[in-house]
Amino acid sequence: MKNKKGWSLWGVLALLAGVAIYSACTGSIKVSGLELLKGLIDGENKQVEVIRDLRFPRIIVSMLVGAALAVSGVLLQAVMRSSLADAGVIGISSGAGFVSILIVSLFPNWFFWMPLISCIGGGLACLLVFSFAWKSGLHPIRILLVGIAVNATFSGLGQSFNYRGSYAVTSINQAVTSIFTMKNWGDVRIMLIYGSIGLLLALLVSPWCNLLALQDKSAKNAGLHVHRARFIISGIAVLLAAVATAVGGLIVFVGLLVPHIARLLVGSDHRILIPFSALGGALLILTADTIGRTVLAPAEIPASIIMAVIGGPFLIFMLRRSDRIHGH
Amino acid sequence: MDIRQLNFAYVPKSGQLQLHEIDCRIPEGKITTIIGPNGCGKSTLLGVMSQNYKPTGGEVILDGKDIAKYKAKELAKKLAVVHQQNEAPPDMTVEQLVRLGRMAHKGLLSPQTDADEEAIEWAIASTNLLPKRSLPLEQLSGGEKQRAWIAMALAQRTPMLFLDEPTTFLDIYYQIEVLELVRELNASHGLTIVMVLHDMNQAIRYSDQLVVMKDGRICHQGTPRDIMTAELIQTVYGVKAIVREEENAGLNVVAIGI
Repeated sequence: MKNKKGWSLWGVLALLAGVAIYSACTGSIKVSGLELLKGLIDGENKQVEVIRDLRFPRIIVSMLVGAALAVSGVLLQAVMRSSLADAGVIGISSGAGFVSILIVSLFPNWFFWMPLISCIGGGLACLLVFSFAWKSGLHPIRILLVGIAVNATFSGLGQSFNYRGSYAVTSINQAVTSIFTMKNWGDVRIMLIYGSIGLLLALLVSPWCNLLALQDKSAKNAGLHVHRARFIISGIAVLLAAVATAVGGLIVFVGLLVPHIARLLVGSDHRILIPFSALGGALLILTADTIGRTVLAPAEIPASIIMAVIGGPFLIFMLRRSDRIHGH
Repeated sequence: MDIRQLNFAYVPKSGQLQLHEIDCRIPEGKITTIIGPNGCGKSTLLGVMSQNYKPTGGEVILDGKDIAKYKAKELAKKLAVVHQQNEAPPDMTVEQLVRLGRMAHKGLLSPQTDADEEAIEWAIASTNLLPKRSLPLEQLSGGEKQRAWIAMALAQRTPMLFLDEPTTFLDIYYQIEVLELVRELNASHGLTIVMVLHDMNQAIRYSDQLVVMKDGRICHQGTPRDIMTAELIQTVYGVKAIVREEENAGLNVVAIGI
């Protein structure tokens, strides 16, 4: 068991490094790894300059967005005691997306605070899902159903901005469809600050997540303030999802896919599951984005579309599996 | 622990009380067992005593303070509970489970202390799980699983231990094993034990004090020898029985008809 965990960890690290290097070297400008390294050190290669200004932020942002979404999925699943929870599927991302479009339209220069403001939208969506799905306990399928309704509402609200017909809209559009094209070091800074706060907090509460995997009464008798822990963990999940959405746009299924595979590889102990899912999420979105901008170059397929295509069938697969496990 | 004038309803204001005017004293360092027919409220009473349900009236006093006023963490240092049915991720190991019992003793940032390690070692050793400590729960037998949950409760290092029907889903061998473990914990560590049992004879054999319930009320309490009579069994369970004292088997009950 120990070995499998170790290999999985090194494997995902190696893959992540490999894809990141490949991603940095390929695209509309192609350089070799050596040229890239040399250019970065002496700063004389014009192409490497462009890569540093445009492609590096894109790579870093997509990795951080992936990590944030995957960890947000793990946390939501711990809180809702269901492996079917994902910030994108149950409407937290679209809630955050909607609020961030709203704020961008009304107060365009609040750029830096956007992730925090979009938390309000994510938090609202999360609260709605909780309050409607709670019926003397949380039932996994009910969470999913309520989540779909909440998601549809907020997605609709968000998309309605596209049809106002004004010129300003096109620049906002990316918040709903997610393209990593125009990312700069400013985005990296935002994502790094909020993202790493969220990830650190997630690691910190991992013992709580482990206790919540037992029944509520067991967790309570072991000394956990169950409701408060749920509230705090949900808050962290919302923060991560909202930041990821504000910077990277709406991407669904990451929080579903990555934690599921991570559990198979490293088990359900959140102290390992959380960091491993962060790496897995980074790898997934970076890969999706790299594929998206290389296969049909110069055209691009947004990472969110690739994720939707992979994620949809995967959700069906997981629903069938959970049928077999819970037997209803 | 003192229970005073306790009332409880699952649906408050419905007027349907599950527990009526419960008055009871749990003696320190003794084994107290709650028995009674199905639906008499014995598990509910244990639930209220461990603050899993909030009473609609009356109070439960522990060390001079109403347990409703305890923080979850404080209470978890005073009493630990083993529930009838438990859930955990199947790949969680015995040691990981037992470690969760230390939650009440530390904050999120405080590191693992020697006291934690000691408590975990002691809990695993006293439940005879040392050889199984790194196995995942899914590979344990029913009896071992139950002992692992007891070990988690023991790791809390509380003076009181509550067990809700700890033998219900076990074969007779494992039932006796668990009860012997409970008696051993009481005898060698002075743990105050409150448990709910189904089997009258096991309750008689392993308890210092019995609390007999019917229809949400306590109808008798006292030592098995003092209160166990054919008459009590007739009124509480509606069963004709013989209560007899035998040289080898001690006090025991045989149901002979209805």
